[in-house]
Amino acid sequence: MAAAGISGANPSLQGFLRSRVGKGLLALILPLAALFLWQASGTNGAVAGGALPTPDRVWKAWLVWAFDKPGPMTLSPYVGNWMEAIAFSAMRVAKGFGLAVLVGVPLGILIGWSRLAASMVDPTIQWLRPVPITAWLPISIAIFGISDFGAVFLITIGAFYPIVINTTQGARDVDKNWIRAALMMGANQWDILRRVVLPAALPSIFTGLRIGLGIGWTAVIVSEMVAVKSGLGYVLWDAYYVGRMDIVIADMVSIGLFGFLSDWAIVHLEHWVLKWRRMQNFNQ
Amino acid sequence: MGTISLQSVSKTYGGARAVVALDNVDFEVAEGEFVALLGPSGCGKSTLLNLVAGFEPLSEGKLLFDNQPVARPGPDRGVVFQEASLLPWLNVWENVVFGPKVQKIARSDYELRAREILRIVGLEQFHEALPVQLSGGMRQRVGIARALVMEPRALLMDEPFGALDAQTRLSMQALLLEVWQNLKTTVLFVTHDIDEAILLADRICVMTARPGRITRTIPISLRRPRSIDDLTTADFIRFKAMIMAEMRGSGH
Ligand SMILES: Nc1ncnc2c1ncn2[C@@H]1O[C@H](COP(=O)(O)OP(=O)(O)O)[C@@H](O)[C@H]1O
Ligand SMILES: [Mg+2]
Repeated sequence: MAAAGISGANPSLQGFLRSRVGKGLLALILPLAALFLWQASGTNGAVAGGALPTPDRVWKAWLVWAFDKPGPMTLSPYVGNWMEAIAFSAMRVAKGFGLAVLVGVPLGILIGWSRLAASMVDPTIQWLRPVPITAWLPISIAIFGISDFGAVFLITIGAFYPIVINTTQGARDVDKNWIRAALMMGANQWDILRRVVLPAALPSIFTGLRIGLGIGWTAVIVSEMVAVKSGLGYVLWDAYYVGRMDIVIADMVSIGLFGFLSDWAIVHLEHWVLKWRRMQNFNQ
Repeated sequence: MGTISLQSVSKTYGGARAVVALDNVDFEVAEGEFVALLGPSGCGKSTLLNLVAGFEPLSEGKLLFDNQPVARPGPDRGVVFQEASLLPWLNVWENVVFGPKVQKIARSDYELRAREILRIVGLEQFHEALPVQLSGGMRQRVGIARALVMEPRALLMDEPFGALDAQTRLSMQALLLEVWQNLKTTVLFVTHDIDEAILLADRICVMTARPGRITRTIPISLRRPRSIDDLTTADFIRFKAMIMAEMRGSGH
């Protein structure tokens, strides 16, 4: 309604605000305002009595972290190894998330399709689900030690629940007549699962993938803070200990950026895979 | 080939309150015969068709297709659903060849036939289209094509034109008459539309509800081949008057 009021005053302004460029500019107002306030409230590059650095200091620290080459006399551990930290974290998310998909999607299809599988597996999943991933940390370290696989294990557990639950939901809601039609055309149980239930469940599966990937990024940071000695989560905690708040903030921004990029990738994959679905929504 | 035989068949749906959908029904369809099941909604027409299709188990009696008890659905009985029920993520071509594909038939053995059938139903320009891009009538043409491509011994059609507008419905009826004139497969056709039943069928079985029964069988002796022009002939009107009287007489 407020937009309608603006349009009454100036239709061309409203048109601009609805355009791609206009929307982009609108989205930038809040972050730029925050950056400005943050910068303006600092003196000598420090905010809140020295607890936090100003944005320009963060930017400089990030440039060093990302692009400088460490020399023989370099003492700071945050020189030229930003990409490395990201690669460690992203690889772990990819492995853990991939494992969660490999287990969660087939299991969800099975639970949604077979009453036997549902009665056997579903209650266990429901009982284990309230245990937060952070509570799995001690067990993970006890089993895997300070190793890569401990982190991957936590990510898998975190991403697994939303994937399996949404897949189950999707497999349960398949139109009965699609299954009847496939049976009538000579499909066997395997054909039905692969060619009817799986594609019909894909919209729900993608919902699960998006939530699961988000949890995967949370899990990788948590586990790297505790269970491994590399990656963005490790840098975050380590930099805090040595009082490098500029690196802490640059690290946070990096996590946000890569979490956002991976979500963007999934959304685009979904748009491409579910073309039929998009057109359906459009037609209705 | 394509004979259907129900002997004292009953069907009760379980649940909190049991529903007797079919009560002691005897019913035969001969090879190559076009039979319409006519009756008000809820009288058990779909139930009967679903039993023949093998979608539901019967509660009592005997149900034979080509002298074999029906145990499960299969490509020997092509089903056409009311809302077409195409797989929305597959395009027209993929929907039509789904049957031969899952039956592991070699592509060379079905490709020409599938093309020919799509041409007959008027969709040769739409192989790549997704179901959502088609009108209701076109979707149902695909539904018919995917049943025909399997060369079924019987076609089971459950109010296939019930959701279409009057104009489209007429053109679909004309198409079905034309296709059937050439194929002469057995057809079991469910409808609640008297005109449609008379126009298409060799024989109309009138059903009543609670419990679901076939109360009368009326042979339609209109000459073949028929076309939608028959809808206004004197003979046609006579059949219509008779069937309307029949349906009123049985309490509807
Ligand atoms: N799956 C089902 N479970 C319980 N009752 C059903 C089921 N399918 C149909 N019925 C009931 O059986 C009766 C006949 O239904 P149906 O065969 O669909 O009739 P029609 O196709 O003639 O409209 C109706 O009373 C309907 O409510
Ligand atoms: Mg019905």
